[in-house]
Amino acid sequence: MMDGALPLTVRALRKKYRRRVVLDAVTFDVRPGEAVALAGPNGAGKSTLIGCITADRVPDAGEVRICGADPFGEPRAAAVCMGFVPEQPFLYPELSLAELLRFVAAARGLDPDASAVETARLLALLGLAGAEQTLCRELSQGMGRKTAIAAALLHRPRTILLDEALNGLDRTSAERLVAELDARRAEGAAVLISSHDLDFLAGWCGRGILLPQAGRWAALDGAAWEEWRRAPRLEP
Amino acid sequence: MALPAVLAAGGLWLAGASARPDVSTGDGVVLLGLLIGAPVSLQAYPILFRPADDGFLRRLGIPASALFGVRALRLLLVALAVVFALMIPFVSTRQPLLRPLGVALAAAMAAWAVSLWAQARAAVHTSGGVRAPVDKLLGWDPELVAAGALVYAPLYPLLAGAAAARFAGADAWSAPLRLGLVFILSLAVVPIAAGAFARALPRFAPHAGELAYAPPPDATGGELVIGRGIARVLPRRVQAVRARDAVVLGRRYRWAGRAAWPVAVVCALAVVRAGGSPAVRAWVTLACGLLLVAQAGAVVALGRSERGRTRGMDRALGLRPGDRLVGRWAAAFGLALGLALPLAAGWSIGIGGNGGGTWLAAAAGVAAVASLASLAAAGR
Repeated sequence: MMDGALPLTVRALRKKYRRRVVLDAVTFDVRPGEAVALAGPNGAGKSTLIGCITADRVPDAGEVRICGADPFGEPRAAAVCMGFVPEQPFLYPELSLAELLRFVAAARGLDPDASAVETARLLALLGLAGAEQTLCRELSQGMGRKTAIAAALLHRPRTILLDEALNGLDRTSAERLVAELDARRAEGAAVLISSHDLDFLAGWCGRGILLPQAGRWAALDGAAWEEWRRAPRLEP
Repeated sequence: MALPAVLAAGGLWLAGASARPDVSTGDGVVLLGLLIGAPVSLQAYPILFRPADDGFLRRLGIPASALFGVRALRLLLVALAVVFALMIPFVSTRQPLLRPLGVALAAAMAAWAVSLWAQARAAVHTSGGVRAPVDKLLGWDPELVAAGALVYAPLYPLLAGAAAARFAGADAWSAPLRLGLVFILSLAVVPIAAGAFARALPRFAPHAGELAYAPPPDATGGELVIGRGIARVLPRRVQAVRARDAVVLGRRYRWAGRAAWPVAVVCALAVVRAGGSPAVRAWVTLACGLLLVAQAGAVVALGRSERGRTRGMDRALGLRPGDRLVGRWAAAFGLALGLALPLAAGWSIGIGGNGGGTWLAAAAGVAAVASLASLAAAGR
């Protein structure tokens, strides 16, 4: 990981499924403290784009750097910098919520005492205090998502990737999560968030990437972003 | 699906006389009835009740009678498949087929019909909170007692299959008459089963979901502890993987750990007391070898269950393939030690030589192969 490198850099990213081009020459940066919206209709390629960033999808061409690290070539360095909440998070059904987070902390090499304090804080923040001993298989969808969010934020990542992460969260938890993300941004973390809640994206993010359909994309910066946020829509 | 079926048929063909009950005796026809009744009775529940999509189909307006009809036919096909499978050894050894086929069809019809009735009745009792005194014999777990009717339900078709086979194979009356009587009685049970099924279904599907509730792990044992015992010599990330894999293995495949101790104790005592006997050493080696292979199967199955899911999680956590391999190996070896340690101690005391160490090495080797296969099964 290079000091001073941007939290996220995407250059000329191209991805196709068989002959169908989903991402074509997608290029953008996410700078420290920014919140960047990723908007688009179903099937436009939002999750594919995030998957190419997290190395869950193999791009056909282009370059991704997370804090300067190639997620394929330097997965450890990329993992240290990145916190990712997938659209459908995987939680071990056999582990309790507390056990899962203890595993995550140990796997990331975090200090056990410090991570226990941070875990307790995040669980309280997300309204999961008291559910620590519940097996993940018994968590509701919203509680499962909150658990995945806590796991992603535990190591205080510089690059936070949220794929439909606010889906299924109650209003109070969503507001607290946004406040937490604001605090992380103030410390220099960057957020790339995909959502179908265009009003939320327009209100919270500072600019955006719009995927109106598979194979097309537009960067919404400056005046274009201001125009889009006044009337959020799925077309540029 | 086709390959296992062909392999099973081939195995039955090759097994020939050793896989063929002697239907000229009363014991033989009862055995044939039990062989047919057992798979039918065990398959009845998963075929009749499918909590995952029963609710969805109900919301689509599909009546319970239609669901019962389709699922009853499906179970009948299973019963007939079992009958035809069990006829293979008779064909391969050129035995007369008429008598075993008649006995088998009678057993299949009886087991099928009674399965439908017994499972539907058990569902009515379970969702209605009806408890039989015999349910209390299941122990102190209230959840298990609440499902007591379902636990005992497979016994009825098993007994019905055996009884029908005995009746069809008896000397009284003519064979077609006996067979016809079994068929008529069996078919008469089906409408009763359909009625019970229709009564049970609306309440049973959600009830079954609640029965499947898993309590917090405090009550089920084996908490995730990172860096315990000798595992502390491992790097912390590997410790984390070992602890996770050990807990998931222990909870998902509990039998793999539970089976080790009784086998280990019996085998260790056997080699201590009679280790000089080649026959004892042979069956101890066979039993322990099979258990090690079964435990390895659990480790591989863990990998298969992770396919395309945990790999992503582990990558996001920055775990290297080496961390995952060593951690999984340590968990698999820990599982095998429950068997290998007492056995090695018993072997060293009873027989001496390097046998004890060889068992530990074998456990480590099997764990290594299983871990490699497990990670290969987990895939990308």
